[in-house]
Amino acid sequence: MVPLSVRGMLLCHAGPHRLAFHAHEVASITSPEGWAAPSARRAFHSPDGAARVLVSAAGGAVGVDTLEIEAEAHPVLPAPAVAVRASGGSLQGFVLVQGKLWPLMGLVDFERFLRGLVGEAA
Amino acid sequence: MAVHEPEARQSYLVFACGSSWYAVPAESAAEVVTFPELTRVPGAPAHLLGVFAHRGEVIPVVDMGLLVGGASQSSRRAVLVRLPRGTLALTASTVAGVSPVTGTLEPLGPTGVHVHLRGPAKSGPRDVAVIDPEGLFDHLSQGA
Repeated sequence: MVPLSVRGMLLCHAGPHRLAFHAHEVASITSPEGWAAPSARRAFHSPDGAARVLVSAAGGAVGVDTLEIEAEAHPVLPAPAVAVRASGGSLQGFVLVQGKLWPLMGLVDFERFLRGLVGEAA
Repeated sequence: MAVHEPEARQSYLVFACGSSWYAVPAESAAEVVTFPELTRVPGAPAHLLGVFAHRGEVIPVVDMGLLVGGASQSSRRAVLVRLPRGTLALTASTVAGVSPVTGTLEPLGPTGVHVHLRGPAKSGPRDVAVIDPEGLFDHLSQGA
């Protein structure tokens, strides 16, 4: 179910590309060392790399390049079906922040999707 | 296989993407827009260039050249194809306008997106591929 609005997000970049995550899905933020976290850059067909790792409560993790906290509430715009399909169902919608659209991702589903991309490449 | 003639009363919006011409039923063609900087979609194939917000709706932009296996077109213009299930923006380098189409509406190929492109058909002197909007939507969103 897509939420009507979201309050508390992490706004991230993977390379030049924007991604947003629910803050409540992120249990901790750490450095990439010691984590076999898939890089969010994979979703944009870019070489792996990360400066920070978002760790979910379930222990899964995704690497991103930058992040900032967005505390304000924002409406969630429904994602087109073609975009949901492309992201393996991990795309929950879009938020308009700082005048730009940010894909709002489910952290656990996105990590699973990224690991699947590795499987496809293998 | 039955051969279908385009309905005589039906009008089509005719547009080009690169050197290829397409026709989409006019009742599905909502408007022609110049789209802003796009937001990339995680996991998107090359033909899905990104999305933009338009009147409160997030609209995906599809490069018709890449979709049919050709070259990418750098156009910032697109034809908005509006269906009850959603809206697609199809890149357009040239928009010829609304006109009738003559010919047949057989699928132009047995698989992939070509199932949803119909012809051979003409709009005036131009060879056009007639887009089945519902089929194209299914193809892009469900892989049908």
